[in-house]
Amino acid sequence: MKFIVSSSTLLKQLQHIGGVISSNTILPILEDFLFEITDKKLSVVATDLETVMRVQISVESNEDGRFCVPAKILLDTLKALPDQPLTFSIESNYAIEITSDSGKYKIPGEDPENFPKDPSDEEGNAFKMRSDALLTAINKTLFAVSSDDLRPAMTGVYFELGLNEIQFVATDAHRLVKYRRTDVSPGETNNFIVPRKPLNVLKNVLPENEDLLDISYTNNHLFVSHENISLICRLIDARFPDYKVVIPTENPYVMTINKAAFASALRRVNVFANKSTNLVGLSISGSELQLKAQDIDYNFEGDERMECQYDGEPIQIGFNAKFLSEMLGAADSSEVKVELSTPAKAGLIKPTEQGSNEDLLLLMMPLIL
Amino acid sequence: MSSSDLSGKQRKIIHIDMDAFYASVEQRDFPELRGKPLVVGGSPEGRGGVVATASYEARKFGIHSAMSSKTAVRLCPEVIFVYPRFDVYKAVSRKLHEIFHRYTDIIEPLSLDEAYLDVTEDKLGIGSAIEIAGAIKKAIKEELKLTASAGVSVSKFVAKIASDLEKPDGLTFIGPSKIEAFMESLKVEKFYGVGKVTAARMKSMGIHTGADLKKFEKTELVRRFGKVGVFYYHIVRGVDDRPVQPFRETKSISVEDTYQQDLTDKQDMLVELMVLAKRLLERLEKHALKGKTLTLKFKFHDFTIITRSKSIDCAIDSLSLLESLTLMIVDKTDLTDKRVRLLGIGVSNFLQTDIPPTDSGQKTANTRKPGHGQDAQKNGTGNAGPIQLKLF
Repeated sequence: MKFIVSSSTLLKQLQHIGGVISSNTILPILEDFLFEITDKKLSVVATDLETVMRVQISVESNEDGRFCVPAKILLDTLKALPDQPLTFSIESNYAIEITSDSGKYKIPGEDPENFPKDPSDEEGNAFKMRSDALLTAINKTLFAVSSDDLRPAMTGVYFELGLNEIQFVATDAHRLVKYRRTDVSPGETNNFIVPRKPLNVLKNVLPENEDLLDISYTNNHLFVSHENISLICRLIDARFPDYKVVIPTENPYVMTINKAAFASALRRVNVFANKSTNLVGLSISGSELQLKAQDIDYNFEGDERMECQYDGEPIQIGFNAKFLSEMLGAADSSEVKVELSTPAKAGLIKPTEQGSNEDLLLLMMPLIL
Repeated sequence: MSSSDLSGKQRKIIHIDMDAFYASVEQRDFPELRGKPLVVGGSPEGRGGVVATASYEARKFGIHSAMSSKTAVRLCPEVIFVYPRFDVYKAVSRKLHEIFHRYTDIIEPLSLDEAYLDVTEDKLGIGSAIEIAGAIKKAIKEELKLTASAGVSVSKFVAKIASDLEKPDGLTFIGPSKIEAFMESLKVEKFYGVGKVTAARMKSMGIHTGADLKKFEKTELVRRFGKVGVFYYHIVRGVDDRPVQPFRETKSISVEDTYQQDLTDKQDMLVELMVLAKRLLERLEKHALKGKTLTLKFKFHDFTIITRSKSIDCAIDSLSLLESLTLMIVDKTDLTDKRVRLLGIGVSNFLQTDIPPTDSGQKTANTRKPGHGQDAQKNGTGNAGPIQLKLF
């Protein structure tokens, strides 16, 4: 079998899906791409058994066929070649020969029958969603996902579907992000947990525009497709913690503050904080916020004061500055509201203004001395 | 084909397992115990007595090893208890190995009374593994006055299962042509590495026998069971290339303690685990080993044992790391209403370390002490440091 494809097109598409392939695989076949040509359409598949990514590219070919090719060596070859048409010839023993303007390259391929099959097509529920909306939801939640494998439910983003909304929730038990979109209609209530890795892959692949994605889900899988790219991923089979009960309904003390100024003060003061705890103490009274950090081991101390609007009793509360900065990064407005109650209870961060289709809530557990 | 060595020759593996070893040695040495239900192990008086080995007469009553001695008495009130004499068993084991060495030097001991022998090239040029197994059994009977069961096949796994088929005093040969059919009929619990938990998981997937297991693709087994899935995939097809290893490197180091009083409080368990962690660290340092996986072992009042592990990306080489990992594991382990009689802690998955030359050995001994001090200090401030509050 022979086909001709543009080297730059192929490289671009392979880089999109190559992120799925993990370097340390138990099964060598998972280090391969599966190439399938049907009717001058080349579809390339990469999988780690949890996530399957597929892209389609138009090629010149006179025959249909399938084979597997080691991903790393193919990517290295393509990266080193200037843009040009490449001819792939595949023998019956899956030996691959690539011909470029400069010469010939040989790679032993693999039997495509050894490549894992896609999960069987069960009937799923489907809906459409704007690409930029999903992208934003991923960007606002993914950073708060836990990496503790002992609590698998928290190692993914929880999708809570309503008739005309989706709530995206992520938590690592120290902090929690809840982001709601109301410009999507899943048509029924349901929920599932999507692991970190496929979301990371989607983040790099989805266009930031109003294109509509086709999304469907079954009990075990999520399917996302857009034009020539599709993703299938296994959902996390665990129960997401009951996050609603931990969100305080009444935090009476409210500080309104410039987000950028607050974030950069935190960053500076955190330089002087203990490296393992990142503890920065906030003292708020009147219209002043004081940020303080120290590392006793090295005699480091940082202290800043800034203006804020504050409505409440004077309070002293400690937070992990690294976590807090990340949380602020998820808010898009120029000012945020920080709602507190006691130094040992969760603090809430809300943007002061946001789009009519979205609602972001950030929750942060304090550090206590 | 897969059970052959590099030269393409089929291997010949014998698994020898002594019959009711401790109990048989006692009955051999004390004629008055012969023909009687006998338990070697802890006494049923007081707490903590456990059956190490039960004689075949005792097994008829349902008594088996690891059972509490009290239960053993309930099953058979006239059962006789004797304390184990490990020195004697070790001496017998040495003689047993002398017999093995007449035929081959490729011997992998599994315990005092159990070993694999690779007799592909036997020293006496006998050629037939069945004949060698028979000769070994005969020598054991004549010289040690004990009986053993032997399994003969082309791989370790099949040989081990074969030795268990006709206990006591059995000799079972499973030839290459019979392996696949034999594996298909085998219950999953019998598979190497399949414990209660894995067996239950397999059953929930509809896997009860080797034949059921065989229906699953390699990818699916890897996905469900991880790396060991590959092993299951091969073993059910009779493929087991693991060599008989005369010198096995240390795979794990662990310490454990049995408690006079069952522990019921999580805090008490943590305290004991911290004590064990210190001992473990000393042993690790003594052997200059650094591992990435921490395993905790809990033995409950009803003698069920669970182990829970956590792996990290770097060496577990400080007390503070041992402690925080222990905490994480205990946190995730359901210990409500559990009475713990034994706790164990171990490290495995060792890093490849350069063994320090002898002169720097002293250096490590010197640097160890301040290292310890630092750990202790870290702990001190760690406990007094800020606490990150949690939501769940």
